[in-house]
Amino acid sequence: MNLIANNLTYKPSDQYHLNEVSFNFKEGNLYTILGRTLSGKTTLLKTIAGLLTPDSGAIEFDGKDFLKVPVWQRNVAMVYQQFINYPHLNVFENIAFPLRQRKIDSEEINNKVMDSLKSVGLVGYENRKIQELSGGQQQRVSLARSLVKNAKILLLDEPLVNLDYKLREQLREEFKSLFSKGLADETILIYSTTDPRETMELNGEVIVLDEGKVLQVGPAKEIFENPNSLKVAEISNDPPMNIIEADISNEQIRFEGIEIKAPSHLSKLTKGGLNIGLRSSDIELSENGHEFEVELAEISGSETLLHLKRGKIKIIISIEEVLNFKIHDKIKIDFKIDRAYAFGADGKLESSPFGGLNG
Amino acid sequence: MNFKHKYFFLFPGLFVLIGILIFPIIFVVRLSLSGWNSYNPGLDYIGLENYIRLFTDDPRFWESFFRLSFLSVTTVILQYVIGFALAHMVWKDIKFKRFFRVLFLVPMMTTPVIMTVIWRTFFHESLGPVNDMLSVFGVAPKWLTDPVIAKFTVIIVEVWQWTPFMFLLLLAGLLSLPKEPFLAAAIDGASPVRKFIYVTFPLMAPISIGAIIIRLIEASKIMDTVYVLTSGGPGTSTETSSFYIFIKGLREFQMGYAASMSFTYLIIMIISLTIIAKVLTKLLLKE
Repeated sequence: MNLIANNLTYKPSDQYHLNEVSFNFKEGNLYTILGRTLSGKTTLLKTIAGLLTPDSGAIEFDGKDFLKVPVWQRNVAMVYQQFINYPHLNVFENIAFPLRQRKIDSEEINNKVMDSLKSVGLVGYENRKIQELSGGQQQRVSLARSLVKNAKILLLDEPLVNLDYKLREQLREEFKSLFSKGLADETILIYSTTDPRETMELNGEVIVLDEGKVLQVGPAKEIFENPNSLKVAEISNDPPMNIIEADISNEQIRFEGIEIKAPSHLSKLTKGGLNIGLRSSDIELSENGHEFEVELAEISGSETLLHLKRGKIKIIISIEEVLNFKIHDKIKIDFKIDRAYAFGADGKLESSPFGGLNG
Repeated sequence: MNFKHKYFFLFPGLFVLIGILIFPIIFVVRLSLSGWNSYNPGLDYIGLENYIRLFTDDPRFWESFFRLSFLSVTTVILQYVIGFALAHMVWKDIKFKRFFRVLFLVPMMTTPVIMTVIWRTFFHESLGPVNDMLSVFGVAPKWLTDPVIAKFTVIIVEVWQWTPFMFLLLLAGLLSLPKEPFLAAAIDGASPVRKFIYVTFPLMAPISIGAIIIRLIEASKIMDTVYVLTSGGPGTSTETSSFYIFIKGLREFQMGYAASMSFTYLIIMIISLTIIAKVLTKLLLKE
């Protein structure tokens, strides 16, 4: 049973939350909606769930007009970014809640809830009050509640965003294993996130959303290798891809007094006003490279992020080491130019190192 | 902490407390042990004579007490149900929400005695508009002079007057509820009715208990409505404890005896309200 969204538009004020979103969600697949905050991810999920009615467009599921089905009959499950549970019920009853809405005998409810508790690693917490749990545990409870009803459509709206770093890593791992083994074949799983790394790790079909519009659709690898526009390149990389305005002529890339020999996939481009895109990890420190000035150095985990400046150009590079730099230090870097992307002045992808378009 | 001026700061509060609460209670206890009446005004000491009379020789007090229990419990239940329904209605996004919210509060803002006079006119058996309208159906209930119907007339007026208070408390409670559980419940397959039973009502339980207790305390002091509407009549069929105490104390000036009734009444109320609060907590919070 496929879920088909057709030209969904929702514009409550002068800004589009959804702008003609069309998509065919196929059963048994994992979809990741990637977009920055306020890009319309939550709106899309709420529309599918039935908590919002779009201004125009249609949703079809199992051949039926889904918009005409009231929320409580849609058989969807949803996990929100806030940890939403029932404060007046204990853990067991929280998870049993969706089952109690149907006529299911208590022994079966008991079995299902215990199974669900097992799959999220909360066995032994049945009688706890929700308020006594940590954020991560609360989110596990809402995940368990969404799994227990065996819904055909499972929506996860940035489920990890409000957790601390360590819990996020841990839960993400658990999600992956849950999704790979625990889901029935006919389930449609839609997962929204702002985090490109999460998107790549989940490795599903990715929908890149921005200002309510679908920018690109494709497998995670494809989005990563061939972002079809500057915007997708920005959204799908963290830190965002560095964009450098440059000219290419005579097989040379020129910007801010730097001249680099263009690699084969860029050398044929002759248009002026190109934007060269380079991931922060594709720039490295090098003794005989080009000189840049350090504007800011931040250490995140085992990585160092350097914000660099040269003339008008500002870039971010990431180094897999913890290094100490002072502001205004001069350092030398080299570009892995064979991994550079080229975007036209209109923001469209012109050439990619992975063979998109002209490459 | 040893702070030498602390009594200076404690004094105003203590003074007020002693003046308005502790002294009257102690005085009532002392008064109840005296035979103060219009022939013999003064604080003499007659021991427990008043209490013996109350417990062995005054069925009218106990009748009025059970009548009061019936009236106050019935009115509070009705107020709770109607108040909850109204609050739930204007809690949702409906048209003219603000208008209704104010409208439902109007009865509470009127003066009870004056409104009761108006109600008495309403329910007048031959001249009142209620029976005028009911005459279409050929019935003319004796609103104020039938011993059974008169009780319900008192209940109607009380419910009309004080449901807004219940409405206000419950609406405040509803507005303070977290929104998230309702989102979850819809997704989890709860229809609007089940959402009310399984989410709204349990979440409202603590507030409901508070509102019911507050209204029970208020409702058991019912006096002005009865006084104006029926004066306890016909006979003694709408007489409540406070009204009977008023008759004994301030009409017949049996001050000592009225004091013993007041004190007994106070003790019974404290005990019964504590039990009611416990029972409600057990029933509604299920803990």
